[in-house]
Amino acid sequence: MLEIKNIYKYFGSHQVLKGISTEIEHGQVVSVIGASGSGKSTLLRCMNLLEHPTFGEVWMEGKLLTPVDPYLHFDVIRASKTYSKLISEGMSDDDAIAKIKKEDLLHEKYNAEGKKYRALMKKIYDENHIDINIARQKMGMVFQQFNLFNNKSVIENIMLAPVKIGIAEYRAAVRRNNRIRLSNVFRKDKKPLIGLPDDPSAVKLKAEENARALLKRIGLSDTANQYPSTLSGGQKQRIAIARALAMNPDVMLFDEPTSALDPEMVGEVLDLINDLVKSGMTCVIVTHEMGFAREVSDRVLFIDGGVIAEQGTPEQLFNNPQNPRAAEFLSKVLR
Amino acid sequence: MTIGSILTDMVKIFIKYWDVFVLQGIMYTLLLAAIAVLCGTVIGALLAFGRMSRFKVLRAIIIAFVEVMRGTPALLQLYVGYFLVPMLIPDMNTMPSQLMAFICVAVALTFNTAAYVSEIIRSGIEAVDKGQTEAARSLGLNNSTTMVSIVLPQAVKNILPALGNEFITDIKQTSLASTFFVGELMTSYKTVVGITYNSLSTLFVIGVLYFIMNLILSKGLKFAEKRMKAHA
Repeated sequence: MLEIKNIYKYFGSHQVLKGISTEIEHGQVVSVIGASGSGKSTLLRCMNLLEHPTFGEVWMEGKLLTPVDPYLHFDVIRASKTYSKLISEGMSDDDAIAKIKKEDLLHEKYNAEGKKYRALMKKIYDENHIDINIARQKMGMVFQQFNLFNNKSVIENIMLAPVKIGIAEYRAAVRRNNRIRLSNVFRKDKKPLIGLPDDPSAVKLKAEENARALLKRIGLSDTANQYPSTLSGGQKQRIAIARALAMNPDVMLFDEPTSALDPEMVGEVLDLINDLVKSGMTCVIVTHEMGFAREVSDRVLFIDGGVIAEQGTPEQLFNNPQNPRAAEFLSKVLR
Repeated sequence: MTIGSILTDMVKIFIKYWDVFVLQGIMYTLLLAAIAVLCGTVIGALLAFGRMSRFKVLRAIIIAFVEVMRGTPALLQLYVGYFLVPMLIPDMNTMPSQLMAFICVAVALTFNTAAYVSEIIRSGIEAVDKGQTEAARSLGLNNSTTMVSIVLPQAVKNILPALGNEFITDIKQTSLASTFFVGELMTSYKTVVGITYNSLSTLFVIGVLYFIMNLILSKGLKFAEKRMKAHA
């Protein structure tokens, strides 16, 4: 359902991610662990493009979120002028592709690689890409610092995205229908109008109903009209999770959800995440809570130095780590 | 000359010429400052958004404009406005000269204020926690909805107090316009001194008037700020 291919991320000359590929299956719970500064959070933020990967592609449900990375498509490389030049110099197909990939010969030469190359890049992009805002609606994200909207009450926080997006969809449909009506004036075979989604007042009503149900589910119904500044960290984080759930996401991304919490509030947030996991939600959890990761995960990724140093089931990774860095890290944190 | 005599002279001058000070001086001062702040805020907001846009050339032009306005004296800018505006709009030469001067000065002050306000608005927007934007974007809201529903309402709380200070600065800055006899408070000083030949007492009178205006304004701003914080 979520696939990342060969992700690299540079901040200036500093390499944070150095080629990470993994696939997250439907209903799977994947934990990402590793030392501070190893790139865990950056990896998570690359999944919904809060950070744009320098190289590599992110796919969700067979749709491309990032621009096309030419190095991941052999036919694109073969269409480039650089490739044909190398071939004409007597290099074999494999060697030429390897050389181009290794030396990053296509980077920032988009216009110099010829028409065929550009056409192929554009074709792959047009066939597969999806607007990032639409993709993000299906990816809930929970932040370390909660990031509740300070200028909105709790219930407004939860309702905001469904209401704004619902109304925008309704208006877009109305505009499209108006266009069809206008074009029908000049046509013999009239085009049928498309069905309208919920109108704004229905959208609001549904969103509020849903928000109240979510608040009830997390046990915070009485805070509906309070502002975030009056709430405890644990309450804020639970509301942040409810806010992400309000969009009915297919996958939830947790970026160290308990790291900014007082110790006595960690439990309530982890319980909520555990509930979500039990309900079958696909989750990616960046965390320092090793016990929790071990308990809920189907798969654990250990990130070190910008690559996946080791991955496996929690039993494999926690009981019998193969990678020396993983062993060292776990021996330190599992004491 | 004793303090007592200055005080009695001040009272006498104020009673005799209060219409020049209040009806003309204060009115023009407030009008000029209000025009500068209102128009300056609109233009300043446009400049601030232009500066945060992705068009490099636009950004560079705006940065250059703001730096020039902040790096040159306001009086010089008033002079430039005084000579430049009638050149750009030749029809203005048919106007009464005082009205023309007033418009030129108002335009110059507006652009001066716009430069400062654009910085106030930009820093106010940038002071909003980045996490707020990220949270909104991660929910699938687009850039403009995020700006309008999340960032701007929070930025306004940073911007309004600084904008109030800009209004106070502008009220004081209008005194420079007396160079062109546009009728604001400092001009009424010149008018009255021309009759009474009593500089010090007249200066004190308009000083007190400036002070009272700004005192009322700053107290009002503090009150508004408190109200706003209470609702945060």
